[in-house]
Amino acid sequence: MAFTLTLVGAALAVGLELLEALAIVLAVGLTRRFRDAVLGAAAAALVLTLLALVLGPLLIARVPLEPLRLVIGVGLLLFGLEWLRKGVLRLAGRRSPSSSFREFVDEREALEELPAPAPGTADWAARAIAFKGVLLEGIEVILIVTVLAARPGGLAPAMIGSALALLAVLAVGYRLRAPLQRIPETHLKYVVGIVLSAFGVFFAAEGLGASWPFDDLALAYIALIVLAVSQAQVAVLTRGERRQAKAVP
Amino acid sequence: MSAARYLRKLVLGETWSLPAGLALALVATALAERLAGPQGWWPAGGGFVLLALVLVALTASLAGALKRR
Repeated sequence: MAFTLTLVGAALAVGLELLEALAIVLAVGLTRRFRDAVLGAAAAALVLTLLALVLGPLLIARVPLEPLRLVIGVGLLLFGLEWLRKGVLRLAGRRSPSSSFREFVDEREALEELPAPAPGTADWAARAIAFKGVLLEGIEVILIVTVLAARPGGLAPAMIGSALALLAVLAVGYRLRAPLQRIPETHLKYVVGIVLSAFGVFFAAEGLGASWPFDDLALAYIALIVLAVSQAQVAVLTRGERRQAKAVP
Repeated sequence: MSAARYLRKLVLGETWSLPAGLALALVATALAERLAGPQGWWPAGGGFVLLALVLVALTASLAGALKRR
């Protein structure tokens, strides 16, 4: 159960963040030059690899197991609850849906206003935008995968999930724009929020000396409880939105 | 956006209410653990206390959205 949930959680979280990075790289490549977009993205990937190589071993080697569980739990709760909060607001119509395609269009419009580089010269503006986009989205990926992989038995499923997500996003990138519009990002991010929050509660409680009935199976019923409560929150917020809409003439 | 502001948004999220609620939930859970003691009900029931408090923190962070249009 923990293996499957870690794999699914890592794959979805990494896939969605990489999709946002891809939207920026595609916008740069299609508006300016693909060579500069790829160079900027590759430089960011190099920085992220170094960050991952430092952060993972540092976390595992320096923090003892019991406090590490609490640290992992709190880290996952910070990310998971934020994704869940945004997911609830989006599903209730209180926030615009998540869309990498919209990000792609916005980025492309902003890039079109920049002056084109002279032929044969490096396009540093394009490289910098692709670098920044990949770096910022990538840092979140590194943090989420590090905390998922740092728990006992978490390394393999977190790595497999991340690799699957990377392959899926590369496939989407190969087919360019159309798939970006079809991915139900709002719902997927909501699911990631539930999975990360369930892991967060599970590990934080263990770090505080509690144990769960049915061990790893607890992840499933915690996720179901979080799902039920968040769906109730969506229903309440949706009803409130309708009531307010009726009140306005 | 400055680097410090970006990092704060990345780690703590867009609002203060959620990380503050989570911090309160963790402090309350730690206090409950102290009160219960290691041999009491804590090992079996402590996780559910944290789960309930975390869900309260999430609900509280959404309360503002109910008031806004």
